[in-house]
Amino acid sequence: MDIALQINGTTEHLDVSPGVTLLDALRERLGITGPKKGCDRGQCGACTVHIGGRTALSCLTLAATVRQPITTVEGLSTHDQLHPVQRAFADQDALQCGFCTPGQIMSAVAATAQGIDDPDEVREFMSGNLCRCSAYPNIVAAVRSAGSEERRTDATV
Amino acid sequence: MRPFELTVPATVDEAVAGGHTFLAGGTTLVDLMKLDVVAPQRVADITALPFHGISTEDGLRIGALERMSDVAAHPGVPAAVTRALLLSASQQLRNMATIGGNLMQRTRCGYFRDITMPCNKRRPGSGCAALEGNNRMHAVLGTSRHCVATHASDLAVALVALDAELRITGPDGGRTVPLTDFYRTPGERPDIENDLGSGDLVTEIVIPYPELAANSTYVKIRDRQSYEFALCSVAAALDVRDGVVAEARIAAGGVGTIPWRLPGVEAALRGEPATEAAFTAAAEIATHGTTPLAHNGFKVPLLKRTLVRALLELTGGDER
Amino acid sequence: MTARPDAPLKVTGSATYALDNLVDRAAHGFLLLSTVAHGEVASMDVDAVRSAPGVLGVYTPFEPLALHPVTSPLLGPMWLPLQDTNVTHHGQPIGFVVAETFEQARDAAGLAAVTYEERQAATSFADGLASAVDAQPAASEAPPSLSVLADGVASIEDALDASDVTIDATYETAPQNHAAMEPHSAVAVWADGELTVYTGNQASHLVAADLAGALGLPADAVQVRNPVVGGAFGGKATSMPAVLAAAAARELGRPVKAALTREQVFTATANRPATVQRIALGARRDGTLAAVRHDSWSSATPDLGFIEPTSHGTSREWYRTENLAISQKAVPLNIPPATFMRAPGEGPGSFALESAIDELAVALAMDPIALRTRNNSTAPPGEDLQWSSKHLDECFEVGAARFGWERRSPDGRVEGDWLVGMGTATAMFPGLRFPATVGVTLHADDTATVAASGADPGTGLLGVLGIVGAESLDLDRDRITPLLGDSRLPPGGLSGGSTATASAGSATMVAAGTVIEQLLALATAPDGPFHGREVGYADGSVHALDDTDRAPMTFGEVLRSTGRDSLGATGTTAPGEEMAKHSFGSWGAQFCEVRVHRLTREIRVSRLLGVFDAGRIINPQAARSQLMGGMIWGVSAALHEGIEFGADGRVTNRDLADYLLPVNADIPDVDVRFVEHPDTLLSDLGARGLGEIGLVGMAAAVANAVHNATGVRVRRIPIRLEDLLED
Repeated sequence: MDIALQINGTTEHLDVSPGVTLLDALRERLGITGPKKGCDRGQCGACTVHIGGRTALSCLTLAATVRQPITTVEGLSTHDQLHPVQRAFADQDALQCGFCTPGQIMSAVAATAQGIDDPDEVREFMSGNLCRCSAYPNIVAAVRSAGSEERRTDATV
Repeated sequence: MRPFELTVPATVDEAVAGGHTFLAGGTTLVDLMKLDVVAPQRVADITALPFHGISTEDGLRIGALERMSDVAAHPGVPAAVTRALLLSASQQLRNMATIGGNLMQRTRCGYFRDITMPCNKRRPGSGCAALEGNNRMHAVLGTSRHCVATHASDLAVALVALDAELRITGPDGGRTVPLTDFYRTPGERPDIENDLGSGDLVTEIVIPYPELAANSTYVKIRDRQSYEFALCSVAAALDVRDGVVAEARIAAGGVGTIPWRLPGVEAALRGEPATEAAFTAAAEIATHGTTPLAHNGFKVPLLKRTLVRALLELTGGDER
Repeated sequence: MTARPDAPLKVTGSATYALDNLVDRAAHGFLLLSTVAHGEVASMDVDAVRSAPGVLGVYTPFEPLALHPVTSPLLGPMWLPLQDTNVTHHGQPIGFVVAETFEQARDAAGLAAVTYEERQAATSFADGLASAVDAQPAASEAPPSLSVLADGVASIEDALDASDVTIDATYETAPQNHAAMEPHSAVAVWADGELTVYTGNQASHLVAADLAGALGLPADAVQVRNPVVGGAFGGKATSMPAVLAAAAARELGRPVKAALTREQVFTATANRPATVQRIALGARRDGTLAAVRHDSWSSATPDLGFIEPTSHGTSREWYRTENLAISQKAVPLNIPPATFMRAPGEGPGSFALESAIDELAVALAMDPIALRTRNNSTAPPGEDLQWSSKHLDECFEVGAARFGWERRSPDGRVEGDWLVGMGTATAMFPGLRFPATVGVTLHADDTATVAASGADPGTGLLGVLGIVGAESLDLDRDRITPLLGDSRLPPGGLSGGSTATASAGSATMVAAGTVIEQLLALATAPDGPFHGREVGYADGSVHALDDTDRAPMTFGEVLRSTGRDSLGATGTTAPGEEMAKHSFGSWGAQFCEVRVHRLTREIRVSRLLGVFDAGRIINPQAARSQLMGGMIWGVSAALHEGIEFGADGRVTNRDLADYLLPVNADIPDVDVRFVEHPDTLLSDLGARGLGEIGLVGMAAAVANAVHNATGVRVRRIPIRLEDLLED
């Protein structure tokens, strides 16, 4: 079936069978490979994207059912400027192999947008993103430092 | 995944007429379709249907298509429901899954999820591999020799405790069903899980007792701290007056083939002092009729202890 | 600058893991696995598969892909899929379906009808213990059984009998899966008879050699690329999907992608074995160890291909004792293959040994740290070679102070509804090196590259090459480009054995020294800018030592003035005579605090501290991350992960909802400290490995903390809350 997806500010038209997931549509049809297939079952979070501004698992979303704009990790940075969360992940060494990182970052962006800062709340919010390298404490540090930076920026604007 | 037709019905009549399998958040259905556990030929994306909104007039009424995260964030929702929602899955999944879909989610039994294995729920008459298999996660209440799979929903446990009702619409019109009557234990027919007929659609969830629900909680015990189904959970609402239990509503999850209401415990608590000793005595009743398997016998003591912990939490006796 | 040169790529989603390589006309392959544990595939009806939409090729034992036997220098004979009808375990690859799209390949594979001639399968480790066989522990040259006895002592039993205090207990550890977040996968592309394969692995040159062998190609006709790898941990030393993708791509005349599903990873790759270990310790009243007996059993495949070396990896070396006896046996089973997994031997072995030491401390009513300190060794028992640089006492001293160990009571403490306990354990991992070659190239634009084939699957080697390269060339780090993950680069930097930093790092130093010598030779050659001068190299420039007024020239200027774009050299290092002079190992002290709910008994880790003696620390931030990750792996082993088999040999928890890894909420802040004593006896670099030691001992520290909190000694991991429920 013919569908149109708004991805990172661009409208993409494609022809997919109804069973194609958003993850496979992004990766295999549109060449957007930031979202990763770590489990394909909604059990790891590596495929996390934003749909309509909210986090969602693209592996459990049928592409043909998506009607709201999609943001992937590729859509966060603009003009070669890293998003504050991306910069915080690099600075805090919140990644090792990096395979889960695009999904972690999409969840982290949602966490900072919601103003989540308490360490236990950050841990809970980020628990839908597995990291086998186990960078968890650094991920918590990255979310908190990016969040405080965003709040500082908001305060000065 | 087998080939299927995807439609987006514009009206409720269109949706319930077509012999469709309904797709809302997709977190159960898409998963199981990819595993070939279910293979519907016609799938209807119902997310555009008008089953939205949360209202606190005339009891708490929640549209079945409200997302778990939105329901959890609503101030009018009782603590047991909010906590059950927030202790479910992950924030990503809670953004996707609807509460109607949550109540319809299928068991996480690993034998159900693997089409190469026998499973009476998936393929009636093929047998139950869990009976003699690895069954640590399986049920100790409501089982039969045909199925021991645990019901997976946390939300349903809280709603069963709070006497919630479902509004259902279907080809033959609408009806209201108490959630305590909605789910079916497996018995001889594990494939029949609830009261829905073909084309029936849950449209709204109603919680009629917000007063009692005001002092409610949900305690979930699992191997990891988050993002996991329950080993055991307890939803409880308690009305304590002058140190004595006036009224109680209690249901358990992770231990039953359906969300397990515990009326015997409720009755035993009424008129008793709100003390750990009285709670422990009443909790003993929760274990009546349990049928442990080879690997899940621990769920019997765990159920008692989780129950006591939930009740202590409601009476200020538990430090979290 | 961040700890990782590839961090900018990784945080923007632009790092290209194997399946991120977008190749025109790539077809998609999907594996089909056996559903019995032992027997023969009798028939495979694949007509429906073949006629399903989009299907391009169907390969089975009856219509196999042509492959040649191949032996890996590291792992021995490589199992090649579809070459015969034998089934040795449930979930073994028996078919490969290639189609235009992923969905078509997956859905077509589901249409195959397979019949088997089943044979009796041995699947129970517990049942097989009684008939276990002696087996050679992996990565060890020592015999399966060995003992060291003091003069006049006839047997280890006599030594135990003569001890004032003894403990004797049996411990069990679960089999585990590496569960790297990137499932095993590959993209294979042929062009003009040459093969390029993108596949995550631990040493691209070794995987290229495997592929050349399996496909019957000259070694230089295969290129393997893995600039980033989505985790490996020992599980990606070989790449079976690469073999299938390459062979199918050759048959079909178009590129092929092959990826395992998460479920398939649990049975179509290889796992850490299950172990049972019996330990008896005998001590004098003052805590001095007099006898250590450590008998190990490992689950194994029928060919005894990999045996988890638990006794050899721990008790053989860790403590001073006059009497030592260790043994290794194996139980051959119809289960998925076994292989190295992060801290093989040391991981599960330390759970047993360090739990036993804690039990001995309880029996002696002695502080567990004092007991360990009393039995600190200066050399492995019965051996002359002393530890090159061992500061375990300092680790415990620093750790005890930081952790507040003096506040620990032998019976734990209670905080509200939570029982709180503290535990500790020793960590150790051998200091090893592998042969490594690294290339250093100076460029005319005054930048340099440091390159090796190997891999950085998140370990931080890329950053190490940059740092050591910058140091050795006396340049700023931003002028160094480290490169890894291409089999055509110099063969070094294999990710395994916690060797990469010491091996590739020291090879980088050699290469840099050589290229500087060549640069100076070039500068002073007859047509060079410093002809006839005494020259030296500093700060990226050539200086005239005999004419301080003469302006230095950067190496780029020297290259440009001599008409060169670049100047390169390789450096090679290998273990040498140092191995005959000392014993080498990294050491550490692990600390853990747990909280157990008094009613529901779930266990939560509330504090973690590791203090490590790993020689010189090259990249402190990445080193800390590596150790932190390892420590969390120890928590996972203690409380979360473990493969479960059904009686039919089927893995019953083969996805990430059922095979539990810790989530963020399970992990508290983790404190990692170093006592930094460069070990220049191992190599000029002074660094020892730290990729694996982080998890060693931690599972025991958790179990010891659980005992401290609850009084319950759990001798099996993962510990479940039911282990602590009384009724």
